Amino acid sequence: MTVEAGLASPPELDIDPFTRENLRDPEAVQTAIRETAPVVRLTKYDMYAIGRHDLVQTALSDYTRFTSTGGIGMSDIRKPGAWRTPSPIAEVDPPGHSAVRRTLQRVLSPVIIRQWRDDFMAEAEKQANTIIGSGTVEAVRDLVEPFILKVFPDALGVDMPREAFPLIGEMNFNQIGPNNDLTKASIEAAGPHLKNYEQYFSRESMIAGGLGEKIYQAEDEGGFPTGTAGVQVRSFLRAGVDTTIAGIGHMLLRLAQNPDQWAKLKADPSKAKAAFDEAIRMDSPSQLIHRTTVSDMEFGGLALKGDVKVGCFIGAANLDPRKFSNPTAYDIDRNSAGTHVALGAGPHICIGQNIARLEAEVFLGALLKRFSRIELDGDPEYKTINTLRSLDRLPLRLVS
Amino acid sequence: MPKVTLINPDDTRTELEVAVGDSVMRAATAAGLDGIVGDCGGGLSCSTCHVVIVDDAYFAKAPEISPTEDQMLDFTAMDREPNSRLSCQLVMTDEMDGLVVRVADPQL
Repeated sequence: MTVEAGLASPPELDIDPFTRENLRDPEAVQTAIRETAPVVRLTKYDMYAIGRHDLVQTALSDYTRFTSTGGIGMSDIRKPGAWRTPSPIAEVDPPGHSAVRRTLQRVLSPVIIRQWRDDFMAEAEKQANTIIGSGTVEAVRDLVEPFILKVFPDALGVDMPREAFPLIGEMNFNQIGPNNDLTKASIEAAGPHLKNYEQYFSRESMIAGGLGEKIYQAEDEGGFPTGTAGVQVRSFLRAGVDTTIAGIGHMLLRLAQNPDQWAKLKADPSKAKAAFDEAIRMDSPSQLIHRTTVSDMEFGGLALKGDVKVGCFIGAANLDPRKFSNPTAYDIDRNSAGTHVALGAGPHICIGQNIARLEAEVFLGALLKRFSRIELDGDPEYKTINTLRSLDRLPLRLVS
Repeated sequence: MPKVTLINPDDTRTELEVAVGDSVMRAATAAGLDGIVGDCGGGLSCSTCHVVIVDDAYFAKAPEISPTEDQMLDFTAMDREPNSRLSCQLVMTDEMDGLVVRVADPQL
C-alpha cells in the first residue's frame, strides 16, 4: 500500500503505562494516549499506542491491516527469541481463524451454556449465604474468587489446584505487556505450578461432561487441527478466569459507590447484565491487546510504519468522551453492551462473553435477593498487573 | 418511520417504529420486549436475538447475511429455519417498512 507523502508520523509520548503507580490508577496514561493524538508512539517500548474508541475498534477488527499473527502481546512471537507458540484461536487471522472459531462457537452455543445456569446459581447462593451474619466481607478473595474458581473450571471440566489460578493468571496478563520486573516476579511465583501445567489440559484429565471434553471430541471430528485441543482448553481457561473475577469485582465496587444504581437493580433485577457491561466499560479487565501493522499505512490521518506493534488501550477507548457522554459516570441504563470494546471487537471478540454475563447475572442476583444495601467497608486496592485491571481488596458491608 | 411487527412467543403482536439505520434488536430491547434478549448488544456473538421473517419477499429485501451471522445462526437455541435472521443484523431501511418477524423461542 502506498502512503500519501507528507503525512505526519505519530507523535512520541514519553510515558510508561506499566509503573506500579500508573497500573493502580491508569487514568493519566489513558488520557495522555487518547488525547495527545489519534496514534502515538511510546518511546520507551518502541510501539504505537491508540486509545480512541473508533480507532481501537478498527484496529481490533481489520485484520487486513492489523494482524494478530504477531501475537496479542507486546513481543512479536514470530521473531527470533520468541518464547512461545501462537494460540491457535487468538493469534491467527481469518480465514484460518474462521474454521476454528466456528467449531468453538458450536461447543459454546446458548443451548450448552443455559445448562450451567442452575449450577452457577447454586454456587452463587452458597457464597452469598456466607456473608449473612457478619455482613462484612473482603469480596475479592472471599466471595468472587471462590465463586468463579468453582463454577468456571467445573463447567470446563478441568481440575487444577485452586491456588494456581491467580498466580498463573497474573503471569499471563503480565506477559502480554513488557518483560519488566512485574513479569519476572510473576513467572517466578507461578513457577511451582508450571511443571504440571500442560497435564491439566490433557485429554485424560478432562472431566466427563465438561466443555473440555467436548473440545477434544470436536478435534476428533476434524473441527480443530490435530493436537490443538489442549491449547484451546488452556486458552479458554486463561481468558475466562481472571477477567471475570476482575469484572464482577469492578461491578460490586461501582454498585457500592452508586446506591442509586443498586436501587435500580433492586427494582428490576433483570438489569444485572447491564450492570456488568457498564462496569467493564468503565474498568475494562483486559486493558491492553496488541496487533501488528501489516504494512506502511495511513491511519487516523497519520503515517504508520509496517511491522510495528500497536497497543490497543481498551480501557482508554471505553472512557472516550467522543463515544460516551459523561464517560466516568456509572449508569446501567446506558446499555453499554455492544458499544464498549471491553470484550474486544471483530473476528476475535470474546467468545465466552455469554458465560461471563451468566456468571455476573446469577452472582449479582443472589446478592440482590438477600441484601438491601451494599457499602464500602474500607478502601479498595488494585492489583498491579501489566495488562489486567483487577481489584486486590474490596472490603464490603452488605446490609440485609 | 418504517414499522416492524413482532409476533411474540405467546402469539401476541407488537408493532414498533424503527428508525432507518437502527436494528430490529435495538428497537425491540429498547421497547422492553422479553422475547428478544440481545445479550451481546449486536456483536454477533450471542445468538439471542433470533427471529424468523414471515414473508419471503421481505427476507429478500433484508440486508445480506454475513458469513459470521450465517455461522451464529447454526447455533441458536431454537433450531434455524430457512428465513431465520439475527435481528441485530436487520438494520432498517424504508424498503423494509411492514416487515413481520416471528420471535424465536427459546433464545437462551
